[in-house]
Amino acid sequence: MRRAPSWPRHAIMLVVSFLMLVPFYWVVKTSLTGENIYAYPPHIVPVDPHLFHYVDVWYLIPFPRYLLNSVIVTAMAICGNLLFNTAAGYALTKQFPGRRWVVLLFLSCMLIPFQATIIPAYLITSWLGVLNSYLGTALPLLSTIICIFIFKASFEAVPRSLIDAARVDGLSEWRIIVRIMLPLSKSAIATNVILTFIWSWNAFLWPLIVIRTSEMQTLPLGLARFLSVMEDTTGALFAFVVMVLVPGLTIFLMAQKEFIRGLTTGATKG
Amino acid sequence: MTSWYQRKRTRELALVACFLAPALTIFFLYRLLPLGWNVLLSFQSWSPLKAAAWIGVDHYEEMLLDDDVFWDALTNTLIFIGCSPIAIALALAIALLVNSDLRGAAIYRTIVFLSYPLMTVAVGIIWRWLYDERGGFFNYVLRSSGVIDQPVKFLQSFDWALPCVIAADFWQVLGFYMIILLTGLQSIPQHLYEAARVDGVPASARFWRITLPLLRPSIFLCIVVGILNSFTSFDLVYVMTNGGPGHATELLITYIYKVGFGQSRFDYAAALTVVQFLLLVVLTMLANRLAGGNAGSLER
Repeated sequence: MRRAPSWPRHAIMLVVSFLMLVPFYWVVKTSLTGENIYAYPPHIVPVDPHLFHYVDVWYLIPFPRYLLNSVIVTAMAICGNLLFNTAAGYALTKQFPGRRWVVLLFLSCMLIPFQATIIPAYLITSWLGVLNSYLGTALPLLSTIICIFIFKASFEAVPRSLIDAARVDGLSEWRIIVRIMLPLSKSAIATNVILTFIWSWNAFLWPLIVIRTSEMQTLPLGLARFLSVMEDTTGALFAFVVMVLVPGLTIFLMAQKEFIRGLTTGATKG
Repeated sequence: MTSWYQRKRTRELALVACFLAPALTIFFLYRLLPLGWNVLLSFQSWSPLKAAAWIGVDHYEEMLLDDDVFWDALTNTLIFIGCSPIAIALALAIALLVNSDLRGAAIYRTIVFLSYPLMTVAVGIIWRWLYDERGGFFNYVLRSSGVIDQPVKFLQSFDWALPCVIAADFWQVLGFYMIILLTGLQSIPQHLYEAARVDGVPASARFWRITLPLLRPSIFLCIVVGILNSFTSFDLVYVMTNGGPGHATELLITYIYKVGFGQSRFDYAAALTVVQFLLLVVLTMLANRLAGGNAGSLER
């Protein structure tokens, strides 16, 4: 079979890759350069490169504080998800009256995008008295429907004989979950952790609504606030952007396969 | 014996109830209740300082008859959604290129996907800078190649602002469309292509007759992602233009935010949300019909 030469495809993909990477390069360049960033024409390579902007971001803006807030909210969301989703997923593997209604309820909730609930969600959160708190920021993110179903499927795939054998050996329901079900559901856990990490780490609209004081702000809010105070007049803004993106990018490059699988399963958000 | 069994059954039911309770509470509080509340609120006149009163369809009347910004926001949202097929077509072209046994395909895939998991606020700031009239990449390239003499203020221009925001959005979601389409491509059985090749079917016909029809579920999923994307693009618009200039890049979601949390008109914002939600449902159903009705099958 005659095959077309591969160089035209490489050429196209190189152009595409170049276009996809230019924004990254431009922002890194601007964050490093020592020249006035408004000078025209801009230089392609950073002139007199230095790391002052990064130092500025760390000390002048409460970057460590934003980071801490983001980490706490994300950690809460991940813990909540693992706990509540495994529990709900396990419950759905059982037969009980009203099971069909519960499944129907979950499925219909999946059709409601969170963005379409912000006004009442804000009123409910304020009624619960958790505005401007870590709990209030993490609350709507504490469980994900798609992940409940992923866990359910994963638990159902555990061989029946294994569970029966464990019962015969006298293991309690609780220990069956912890010792048998969860270790066999590693990929479901990875999917859930990745999805929750991405959604809560990048979340902007909800924190923007709930958080009032600057010491509670998460990284995306800090970034938007820095932009509104300084406009894009300083390279420090772009150093800030790079510092915010590095954790996510590192995790993505380390666990690429799990990442892509997780994101495609959660495509339409749960 | 029966009583032992019954006790065990009761305990199991109690366990099920306890296990389901947290997740059900969260989704009741943050999905179902808000949806119902939105509908209720949209027919009322209410503010945190004022008791609720029924006013019927006044909000909807105001929206449809008197509110130009609503129409701007609706048009822009529809343009935003209407442009997503372009991104899907681009992603399909890329997916077809990197699906074959091209050496280094994995690296290309990583590069194209890299922008998707990024924080959208940061993406907005990056693109805002690329469009800048002095330090920005685009003005630099266009000016030094002699296409334009004067710098263009892309994001301050009524003509350019919306396409520019959409381009930034494309950059972010392209990789995601590509991955969805790649998954679809890899699920097409190879023997179909071989049979077609044996029968001497030309490559273009193989694409139109085999690849495209069998990709329908994946394309539907991409379209749904595109529809949802117009609702989740709040972050991008907020950072890049905040709806401006004028309301040239206002989306429904940014307008809802402004009305609700800027002007504290929660009741009117609720009515806007109801319209936005109906739009989402109708468009998704339409896309599902076009995809042949069985498109949910890909979402495992």
